[in-house]
Amino acid sequence: MIQLFHVSKDYEGGVPALADLSFKIEKGEFVFVTGSSGAGKSTLLNVIFGSEQATSGQVIVDGRNYSRLPAREVPGLRRKIGFIFQDFKLINTKSVFDNVALTLRILGLGNAEIRSRVMKALTYVNLKHRANFKPLMLSGGEQQRVAVARALVKDPAILLADEPTGNLDPELALKMMQLFQEVNSRGTTVVIATHDQAMIDRMGKRTINLHGGRLTRR
Amino acid sequence: MISTTAMIYTVIDGLRGLRENIVTTVLSSLTVAFALAIFSLFIIIFANLNSFVEGMGDRTHIVAYVKDGALSTKNGVDEKAVEKVYKSVAGLAGVVSVEYISKKDAFKILKTEMKDNQALLEGVSPDILPASFEIRLAADKITAKDIRLVVESLKDKPWVEDIQHGTEWAERFGAILGFMEAAAIFLGLFLGGATIFIISNTIRLAVYARRDEIEIMRYLGAPNIYIKTPFLIEGIAEGAIGGLIALVALFVGDLVLGIYIPKELVFILDNPFSLLLLFILLLLGGLILGVVGSIFSLGRFLKV
Repeated sequence: MIQLFHVSKDYEGGVPALADLSFKIEKGEFVFVTGSSGAGKSTLLNVIFGSEQATSGQVIVDGRNYSRLPAREVPGLRRKIGFIFQDFKLINTKSVFDNVALTLRILGLGNAEIRSRVMKALTYVNLKHRANFKPLMLSGGEQQRVAVARALVKDPAILLADEPTGNLDPELALKMMQLFQEVNSRGTTVVIATHDQAMIDRMGKRTINLHGGRLTRR
Repeated sequence: MISTTAMIYTVIDGLRGLRENIVTTVLSSLTVAFALAIFSLFIIIFANLNSFVEGMGDRTHIVAYVKDGALSTKNGVDEKAVEKVYKSVAGLAGVVSVEYISKKDAFKILKTEMKDNQALLEGVSPDILPASFEIRLAADKITAKDIRLVVESLKDKPWVEDIQHGTEWAERFGAILGFMEAAAIFLGLFLGGATIFIISNTIRLAVYARRDEIEIMRYLGAPNIYIKTPFLIEGIAEGAIGGLIALVALFVGDLVLGIYIPKELVFILDNPFSLLLLFILLLLGGLILGVVGSIFSLGRFLKV
């Protein structure tokens, strides 16, 4: 499902973020990417998502090699991926409902189906009662859960999550993890970047460990 | 590809954008309306003056005055000589009609024209007025050059005393119309360019205001057409609204200017097109300005 061959990523000024990464994540796998701050977790997720280009190496997602993927085909691939951003990336002028619905509107679903799926997703993240609120009226934890609902509502083939429980209390964080596990059990490949070691230990899943952009465990 | 449902959402989104950016929408629409109304007014005046000049074909004529005694005998008019001249003049290229106005006829006409001042003509002999040939040219032969050709072939005739014609007038009017035509093209290009610039900047501002939303839509996998369509709809709507405002402004302007313009000149404001055609032209003009402005802006500021 996701393959990386000798992938490196340097930022401006030659600052290395990822160095010679090679690994494979199978379809339906549940993987944690871990490491300390600045280890390259977010960069790795961005490279897999295609929002950042690798400086060298090959990134293959769902059988498509980013280095050979025409720009017009990128949106099609992204529609198969759900991404929970660390900074949530919610549209502040739209309601919680519209934020979650947008992803289904882009897929071209009808109104009735959108309503039913959005309300179901908001119920999963305990935010049904906040459907008409604007993001800025919500707490950080609630905004994070909106981002989770938006990523899950389209039943993505791949779920990428960057610190998805960073703003949640332990109880809610565990609930979110259970939700990701449930999604995974339905066939979605899940890749979660986190530095919450206790959570990683509790879940007992495969871990890709980064240090200074290099792989230390896979 | 984008589904029909997704396309409907983008159209709704574009219309919502109009409402959310109501101030810029109103200003852009008024700019379109102003440009279209000014340009249309200019075209209407130009079209009316042009058709007025074309109508001059009936009125533009040449008058050849006859030398005293040239076409007469002791007993009066020499009918045979008049007939001969008549035939030779009628045979000239471009001439559609020739009328002989004798001294008596000329005096009768003068009397009719001066019916309120008959006393002035008391004791005046009809002989003081010259006889003449009134020559009318075909409607397509009223350019200065064509009039001059006929005049040239008449002026050396022995019976001709003097020739009056509208060459100079036609030349001047033709020059004014030529200038107006060039001015209309310049004005159209200038106003069109300025309007496209303003619309493109309005869309640019809208793109800038929604840049975070655009970035998020890209991350969610929205195709280019899905991202661009709402802005295109905004431009189209601003153009169309501007076209409709221009139509109303022209009607109101016609009513107001009609009060202040002298009666003899009111014809320059007559709508030479049908109401439906004017409506379609203004709407189409607004749409074209809106679409071009949006596309120009999206091409430059929304490379996705």
